[in-house]
Amino acid sequence: MDALEALKEGADHLSRSFNSGFVFGPVTQYTLWLAIVFVVVLLVVLTAAKKLELVPNNKFVNMVEYGYDFVCSDMGENAIGHGYKQHIPFLATLFFFILIANFIGLVPGFKTPTGTLSITWALALISFIYFNYYGIKAKGGLGYLKSIAPSGLPVGMVPIIWFFELISLVLRLLTLAVRLYGNMFAGHMVLGIFALATSVFIQAAIQNMSIATALPSIGWFALLVAMYALETLVAFLQAYVFTILSAVYVSLATSEH
Amino acid sequence: METTLIISALKVVGYGLGAIGPGIGIGIAAYGVNVATARQPELAGRLFTNFIIGAALAEALALIGFVLAFIM
Repeated sequence: MDALEALKEGADHLSRSFNSGFVFGPVTQYTLWLAIVFVVVLLVVLTAAKKLELVPNNKFVNMVEYGYDFVCSDMGENAIGHGYKQHIPFLATLFFFILIANFIGLVPGFKTPTGTLSITWALALISFIYFNYYGIKAKGGLGYLKSIAPSGLPVGMVPIIWFFELISLVLRLLTLAVRLYGNMFAGHMVLGIFALATSVFIQAAIQNMSIATALPSIGWFALLVAMYALETLVAFLQAYVFTILSAVYVSLATSEH
Repeated sequence: METTLIISALKVVGYGLGAIGPGIGIGIAAYGVNVATARQPELAGRLFTNFIIGAALAEALALIGFVLAFIM
């Protein structure tokens, strides 16, 4: 029964650790990690920018340049196409910020700032305002509203399709925010539960003085390592998905048809 | 007490039902991308981009279900 009580206590502790408790003053733990991520992003990008050369030998500079190049070619050229250069600073900022924010949460004891809905909501709002602004700038207010419905529809269908497209346009704000939050939150929750299961069996083995009780924790630990690998992939993939969807929304808002 | 338990259980069941459709949809999309990439590997980059967009649109339904489970 002690093991079950330990499990219950551990689960309570786990779910409490996701609450944004106040660290000091009005600063919650997510705000604190958000500030740390800002500093890390600035450090990474500024140190790389200081050492720019025509043929970089520094591995670190090469890595950052590769990331920037990835944003340029994969998201800029592939997704936006013509006139992508002016959107690269925005996309690269978004990509580096979300990537580092996701990866910092994988270090044990650290929190990912993107694991709370408030911060992903803010990021999605930035992206939403950005692509609407460029859409209105490219087509004018009325033209942008008209272009929400795809052209070439029968006249009777236009209002209905326009209405549904408007809903899907507004839902982009919600889905961008919830996708990032859901993936990061659920991933860390699963990691926490597997780590908890590992520790509960070891605790029970210590209390009962029997090695056999500790055997299931080997399986849980193997699952934990496997999930850790998967979470590393997800951390990158979600940064990529968020950025490329922003790029696609910009291209949909600004393209001429 | 029991009613709130049933309601909160039903929320999770509703989210599970809502996730069926997007799951099938993303599966079909991934199948299509894999087949297309096997036939024409040089298009892999653009196919993957299109797959991400399609998956994002399908996933939206599951995400709405996820949000509804929280706010209802």
